[in-house]
Formats: sequence, C-alpha cells, structure tokens
Amino acid sequence: MTHLELTHIHKSFGTSVAVEDFNLTVKQGEFVSFLGPSGCGKTTTLRMVAGFELPTSGKVTLNGKDLTYIPPNKRNVGMVFQSYALFPNMTVAQNVGYGLKIAGKSKSEIEERVREMLSLIQMDKFYSRYPYQLSGGQQQRVALARALAIRPELLLLDEPLSALDAKIRFELRQEIRRIQQQLGITTIYVTHDQEEALSLSDRIVVMSQGKIEQVGNPFEIYNFPQTRFVAKFVGSLNTVNATVVDPAKGVVSFDGINLDVEDGIKGKSKGDEITIAIRPERFNFLAEQRKDNVFDCIIENITFLGSVVRIQMRIGNSIFNMDTFNRPSLKLPNIGDKEKVTCSKKAVLLLAG
Amino acid sequence: MDEIMSKKRASFFAIFWGILALLYFFLPIYGTLDFSLRMERGTLGFKAYNIIFSDPRFWEGFRYSITMAVITIIVSATIFVPTVYWMYLKVPQARPIMEIITILPFVIPGIVLVFGLIRTFSRPPLQLTTSTFKTDILMIAGYVIISMPYMFRAVDVGMRSIDVRTLTEAAQSLGSNWFHVLTDVIIPNLRLAILGGSLICFATVMGELILADFLVRPALGPYMVRLGLTKAYEPAALAIISYSLTWFSLGLLQFFSSRSERQKQQVINE
Repeated sequence: MTHLELTHIHKSFGTSVAVEDFNLTVKQGEFVSFLGPSGCGKTTTLRMVAGFELPTSGKVTLNGKDLTYIPPNKRNVGMVFQSYALFPNMTVAQNVGYGLKIAGKSKSEIEERVREMLSLIQMDKFYSRYPYQLSGGQQQRVALARALAIRPELLLLDEPLSALDAKIRFELRQEIRRIQQQLGITTIYVTHDQEEALSLSDRIVVMSQGKIEQVGNPFEIYNFPQTRFVAKFVGSLNTVNATVVDPAKGVVSFDGINLDVEDGIKGKSKGDEITIAIRPERFNFLAEQRKDNVFDCIIENITFLGSVVRIQMRIGNSIFNMDTFNRPSLKLPNIGDKEKVTCSKKAVLLLAG
Repeated sequence: MDEIMSKKRASFFAIFWGILALLYFFLPIYGTLDFSLRMERGTLGFKAYNIIFSDPRFWEGFRYSITMAVITIIVSATIFVPTVYWMYLKVPQARPIMEIITILPFVIPGIVLVFGLIRTFSRPPLQLTTSTFKTDILMIAGYVIISMPYMFRAVDVGMRSIDVRTLTEAAQSLGSNWFHVLTDVIIPNLRLAILGGSLICFATVMGELILADFLVRPALGPYMVRLGLTKAYEPAALAIISYSLTWFSLGLLQFFSSRSERQKQQVINE
C-alpha cells in the first residue's frame, strides 16, 4: 500500500533548478534512501517532504492526504538532522519529550514515552544529561529518539551519520535499521555514502542534477546500473570505450581486443561507439576459474585495502582494476608480470546516458 | 639559554603592561573615591555619601532612571530578539544593513538625536511632549535607540552561537509553532546574551544625560550634572555610586553565567 507519494515535484531557486519532475511512491514500512552527490537535490526533496521548502510545482501525499501546503509543525513527520539539532537548554529527557509536551500530553504519559524511547536507543542512564555532555553518536541517538517519540507517520533522516567517525557510523547505521524494522516506520534517508544506502535500504533512489537516475533495490542498483552516472557513482567501476563488432552475437572490441557481452546489443549497429563497464570484483585470474572473456594483461600496481586487494592491470592500452579477497592463501603476482585474466559475459555492462 | 631569557623578557613586559593598564584604569577611580571621602577636613568619612542618600531628589532620579531602564530593556528585548531571529532565519543577507542601522547611535551625536526627537514629536500628528506620561514614552523610545548597538550586538552574538535555522526546523518538526519555537528554544538559549545586553542597556540608561535634560525629566544624569555645578565632594561620591552600579550589573552578569554552568555541573553529578 502506498504510504508516501511524490508526484511531479519540481523545485527552482530563481533560475536554478534543484529538483526536476521527481516521482516516487513509498510503501508503508519501507526504508528508501536518496543517494547522490552534493547538490543533486536529495536534501531539497527531503525538505519538501518535511515542509521546510515549498515545491515550485507537484504534490506531496502522505497516507492519501495532500501535504504540499501543510506547515511542517502540522505534518506529523519526524526528522533527524545531520547536526543533531538537540536543544542545548534541555536535558536528554526534555529533548525527547518536547514534541509530546507541545502535543499537550500529560506528564505521566510523557515520562513513560521518554523512558520507552531511551530504552529503545539504550540510553536510559543519560536521562538528565545535557546535549553538550554527550558524544556525537549519543546525541544522534537522542535526536532519533526525539523524532520517534511523537509517533510520526514518516521518519526523515538527513545525512544523520555524516558528522560521525567511521566506527560509530557503522554501529549507528545498524541501530537505525534495527529500530526502523522494530517500529515498522516508513523512512526516507538522505546520504551521499553509497555503502550506507546499500546496507540500509529496501530501495535506493539515485539522483543526479535534480533528477532521478534510477530507483531499485540495492542489488539492482549495484549489479544492474541503468545509466553511466549510477554505474560510476555506486561502487568502483572500470569503464572503457568500445566499438560494436557483432550486435547480434554481442561482441564488442576495445584496443583491438574482442569482448563478449551477454544477450547481444540491442539498438546498435556494427561500428557504433559504446561504453562498457566491468566491476573490479568481476575479474579473476584465469587459473582460478575459466570464464567467457580471457585477456592478456600486465600487472601495474597492487594495493592492500584491508579485506580486499586491488590489482591494477593493463589490458591492451587500457587500465583496469581487479579486486580480490585478501585471504592468506592468496598468491599475488609481481608488478610487471604478464598474466591472463577473465570475466564472464554477464559481468560486462553496457552503459546508457 | 637564549630561549629562556627571551621568555623571561616577554613575561616581564606582559606584567609591566598589565600593571600600567590597571593603573591607567584604577588610579582615576581611586582618586575620585579618595576625594569623595575627604569632605571633612583631616578625616576619611562618608559625609558626601550621606548627603546624597538623604537628598530626596537623588532618590527621585534613581527611581525614575531605574524604571526607565527596566522598561527600556523590556522594549529593546521585545523588539530585537524577534527581529534578529527573523533576520537570521529569513533574510540573513540583511545583516550588514542591520549592522549599519544599529551603529547609527554611535555616529550621530546624542544632541542631534534629541533635537530630532523633540522637533518630530513636539508637533502633530504625533505630539508626545504635552504630558509627562507621553514625554516618558518619548524618553523610552530615545533610550531604546541609544542602547540599540548594545542590545543588537548582544543578541546577534547569541544567535551566532547557536544553529538558529536547524533548531527552529527541529522544533517545528516536533509540532512547535513560531511562538513556542521562540519561547522554548531560541530565547532560553539566548538567555545570557539577552542578560548581557540588558545590563549594558541598564548602565547606559542610568548614566544618560542629554535626553533627560532636554526633555526635562527627573533622571539621575541631569541630577549628577546639576550637583556638579555647585558642589565638589558630592559629585565625586555620585560618580563612585554610578561606577558601583555598573560593576554591580557586570557582577550580576558574571554570577548568572557561572550559576548556569554550576547548575549544569550539578545535574551531571546527580
């Protein structure tokens, strides 16, 4: 069932277009991330849902109710900000209970709900602390509890982890997902961090220059990017310009080397220019497993990235990266070695846009 | 060795200039205090102070100036807190203009301001010099203008220390309307800034002379001047009382700011 619906949303600031023809439906309890680089319009879209910005045109509907011109304090939409935005003059308990106090709830009801929320974020002991006595991660937990305390119909999170260090980010990311699933609350999450979006979301909306590039679940977004932007923005990618050799059989050529593509190449003729892309982890050394495409390569560089080893290699005149798991039994080549690498037909992506 | 010598030299000069500055500020005050205590030949005493404190005109001026100061603070805070808040939220680009406007009382001589006020408000359509009550309204308006640079700057600095926009949006997302945002979130976080501005306002109004003198109101400033025309020791005593009042105001500010820190610390210990 559709819970949130954004229909033909358009937002301009003077002559500059921030969001263009944005259409999206979000189901009840779904976790949707807006992913894109700075200035792509993701936060502006979120702010229009929250009511802090008015769309130039279009409609925001929540539970069938038109919210477009409803002020933010009448929407019952909880929001978590990048800078936490806890009220410095209030204790943790007062912050969490503020929305309920405004709603005119009784003291006992507020107290009960505050305790419940602090227990949910596992911060019962911090009841009387002031925000400046908490770490960034703790402040963001309190901000989350405060947004949830009012039992909002929709939860909006605007880059909530951006100001935190990597370890806290990882922990809080899992906690946000746990709480969201526990409460079953519809959530919109804005981030420029692909890892966050991929690990948290039911669906991801990838945005660029105010437009939606692709909407899909994390698996689809990562493995089947529909545009060049999505392919480049989500994950690492090797891209190379190629020429179509046989569109029916799906054969392309780069640097004089033929490459097989699955299912042929639709809408292209022999000799057409095309961009192909291969994820670094889709390459393998030939000894490991034989695949459809086999190439001679020269090892240019080897970089350790913790759990992954990135091998830079030259195939023809083009440079490619190959990622392989860093296991103890891994036998790495030396720089300058000539090797054979392979990748499946399925691994070769044809990019549009 | 050279480094130690150079550090010692730097610390010597720091102390030297510090002492010089203290002497520069406190010697005249000490001189005034000493003079105010020597009304009776050969002994130190509080005779000048007794004369002032037993003068009903002093108490009339004192009461009047305190009343005017309190009203001025209320009016200034009521005007400037919402205005500066709105400016930060909706028209941040207007800040330089506000800066220029609020600095005008420093640039325009007090006498020009007073003549301007008297000329404008001594004739219809808005005649404010026909009764003492109306004149007091004019006085307060003048005091608000005179104290504008202090109140604006105090509130401005306070606003800059908090993320006004995000706090407002956070409160709104929790169901708060504009009034509640201002009273629950913005003003409590500006408490010290408003208090600072208020105390400087208070000190300014208590010592103001030109406006009260030209509008012929019984404020403390004109009383001090009139006393100075005919007496020697009493004006010195009055100057010390005036200084004490200012220091008392600053002391209060210090007390409240440190008390707020203490209270927060107490909450942690609990």
